[in-house]
Amino acid sequence: MGDIKPVYLEEKLKEIEDSGRLDYRSKTLPTWCPGCGYFSIVEAVAASLCELNIPNESAVMVSGIGCSSRFPFFVNSYGMHTLHGRALPVATGVKTANDALTVVVVGGDGDGFAIGGGHVPHAARRNVDITYLLFDNGIYGLTKGQTSPTSAIGFRTPTSPYENPDRPLNPLLMVLSYGASWVGQAYAGRPDHLHRMITQAMAHRGFSYLHILSPCVTFDKTHRTYGNLGMQVRDLPADHDPTDRLAAMREAMDDALPALGLYFREERPTLADALDGLVEKAGGELPGKVAAKPARKTARR
Amino acid sequence: MSTDIQISIVGSAGDGTIAAGDILKNALAGMGYKIISFDIYPPEIRGFGKCIARMRITTEQAYSLKHKSDVLISLDDSHAIPHANEVRECGAVIYERASIVQLPEGGHISAHIGPGQLPYPVPIRELAEKSTSANRSRNIVVLGFLAGLLDLPDEAFLKAIARKFKRKAEAAAAGEAAYRIGREFAAQTFKLDDVVFGPPVSTVVPGASVEMINGNAAIVRGALDAGIDTFFGYPITPATSIMERLAIDMPKRGGRLLQTEDEISAISAVIGAGFAGARAATSTSGPGLSLMAEMLGMGVIGEVPAVIFVSQRGGPSTGLPTKTEQSDLHMAVFGGHGDAPRIVIAPTNVDGCYRCAGKAFELAEAYQTPVIVLVDLYLSNRYETVVFPARPPFEADVNRKPGKQLAGAPYKRYALGGDSVSPRAIPGEKGTMHVVTGLEHNELGRPSDQGEMHEAMSRKRHEKLQGALKHPDLTVCKRFGDEGAVDVGVISWGSNFGESLEAMLKARGEGIRCAAMKVVMLSPFPTERVAAFLADCKEVLVPELNYQGQFANLLQAHVARPVTRLNRVPGEPMKVEDILEEIRRLAGKKAAQKAA
Repeated sequence: MGDIKPVYLEEKLKEIEDSGRLDYRSKTLPTWCPGCGYFSIVEAVAASLCELNIPNESAVMVSGIGCSSRFPFFVNSYGMHTLHGRALPVATGVKTANDALTVVVVGGDGDGFAIGGGHVPHAARRNVDITYLLFDNGIYGLTKGQTSPTSAIGFRTPTSPYENPDRPLNPLLMVLSYGASWVGQAYAGRPDHLHRMITQAMAHRGFSYLHILSPCVTFDKTHRTYGNLGMQVRDLPADHDPTDRLAAMREAMDDALPALGLYFREERPTLADALDGLVEKAGGELPGKVAAKPARKTARR
Repeated sequence: MSTDIQISIVGSAGDGTIAAGDILKNALAGMGYKIISFDIYPPEIRGFGKCIARMRITTEQAYSLKHKSDVLISLDDSHAIPHANEVRECGAVIYERASIVQLPEGGHISAHIGPGQLPYPVPIRELAEKSTSANRSRNIVVLGFLAGLLDLPDEAFLKAIARKFKRKAEAAAAGEAAYRIGREFAAQTFKLDDVVFGPPVSTVVPGASVEMINGNAAIVRGALDAGIDTFFGYPITPATSIMERLAIDMPKRGGRLLQTEDEISAISAVIGAGFAGARAATSTSGPGLSLMAEMLGMGVIGEVPAVIFVSQRGGPSTGLPTKTEQSDLHMAVFGGHGDAPRIVIAPTNVDGCYRCAGKAFELAEAYQTPVIVLVDLYLSNRYETVVFPARPPFEADVNRKPGKQLAGAPYKRYALGGDSVSPRAIPGEKGTMHVVTGLEHNELGRPSDQGEMHEAMSRKRHEKLQGALKHPDLTVCKRFGDEGAVDVGVISWGSNFGESLEAMLKARGEGIRCAAMKVVMLSPFPTERVAAFLADCKEVLVPELNYQGQFANLLQAHVARPVTRLNRVPGEPMKVEDILEEIRRLAGKKAAQKAA
């Protein structure tokens, strides 16, 4: 017990202030319930943006609809809070229009794998250079606790009052098979690990998918609680090879004891690379790449 | 002398009917004639569906095709027979002399040629086999015969044939041989004195280029000339050729085009790209527009520029994919939930397709809203001779009104007041960070469900569009025909205006006092000018290619007055004669009232 040092609030606040990550938090306070796992995600994203030294004005947070999708309002950057399920194609448009932007997509399990499920494979296979943070709480929180595509079979909610008859999807396994070039898993209850994973995902050039397990403290008192998740999660085996897609898929199959860490990573051309290649094939000229001021492109005649 | 000749080629899918039409209209356009043409073909690629290549060749400006052709060429009698009566008196029918199979009685077109029509039996198959040792060049043999019959110069045809087969030297040589043998045969036959080409009229404007293109190609050219940066789309008839052409041309200019997984994704990416400051567009037809409705509303409330090219076909549901119709007006103007005003412009001819496509990008930026350019299959596939200006008549960069950002003052992306168009910043610009949301919001863009704010923002989104009615160099609506008070006024929109105008001009020729108005901007509606026109008309006729009278509904929502509706859904352009008949009836009604 002698190792534990007392933490003084004033010191901690100063440390946070000095880190500069508060510049990445907007003045709008999150609307989530007290105890929600998403607080640690917004903190981690701010810390990662800060760590990677991304200018606020060249970051764009894109979301759909749901509790997690309120996220862009809480970050001090540009943002789009779009329609239920459509964040990925909107983000594809943003990134295609301007390579210089850092585009982060945030959304929930319902947004990404129910209504928006048709867009995930295409963002992944195209290797759009964006980061997709999937907040998985296994429930529809914003509409007060209905069943989601990752809810456990047998789960009881207002729309499945007897029990949920459907099997849950396995988003990690799906995304691995869709051809995502970076796939990882984190847990909102382990904020430091979460922060490291988000930084890696953002630093990856290509489509990075981070699955974040998080409890809904208001509407799920039985299944995905901090207590249960804390006991279930494990680390990926130390000898896991993140260049081996099959090994990654085998690990992802174990959804009873979810493993945290980097499942898979590969370097391959992004969508922008491929589109630039088409310009070269067509004998066209690439528009001047502007790093700092990605603003308005003039009409090309 | 002025020239006004219409030629139809009718065949079965696989006969090369449409290809022959392409060569013919290119040859005639190359000679300097004005062309207006529209082909009809079945939804199947092969099989035995009917194909018609039809073109009107003129020296004066024409606005539609004629009901009667001067020359009919049959490559397949079973399909051509129903069209024999569409050949005018003293017009010609060119057909296969000998059938290789035993035909039932009446199976040969010769039995259907009227006493006033001139029959030209040609051993088409035999000549084709003689020229190329195969009968596959029947379509070119008849072109050679036609050229000889009408005494047209060889060069124009040979050039058009070479252009058609530009990648296949062997096919080009075979085509030339087939053309020559057909032309030779024409020398042995009696001349067609009643169909005569006068000298073409030169329309050369310094610096300008004259081209014969269709509506979709004109849309592409307009988009390119307006500096389109990104395009996201999903294939759908009859809009696909817009995307296909852009896929070739955009990368040549450094642009980016992506085929998305569906139309929802296409419009979503356009909204994303528009937010990021690009000139972005998509193209689709009715079914795709239905899927896009929700994201279109997001563009409206988020005030994001976006351009959507919509080519209508027969509906609802999958409907009639290869037939024309004007039944998506309600959808384009009102589609989606909530009060979601947008700009909708509907060009009436191919030149208008070019101008509207380019102007759409200006409008989208100037008024920060989605803009729909609404055409239909008829206009998408209709060829016309268009004079393109030397310099594209589009603004490359419409002022985004960035405004002066006061240090420390919060940036109001949705500032109220003034002309209701607020300063628009884009990602990458400092000091103006904001979130675009589909939620109702306050001036800062933060979510707000206050009643007063919703009232103010709804007003802003509607009022700002009024400026579009006065946007520079854009025809919002236009009146033709007699000035002042008239007995009959025809008011119409889109591709159908050509037939309406032609009918009105014919009625004037018959001594009826009448005028016509085309309405290009459907939303916001040019109420004042339309009301002024209607006030001049004793009777108002609204012809359109849909069952409900969708334009008439829109018109009457803005100007309360009775109109006569003329609605047809044949999947083809309306007949000028049908509109003319209605004008005569309405004029007669007036005359009868006067007499009583």
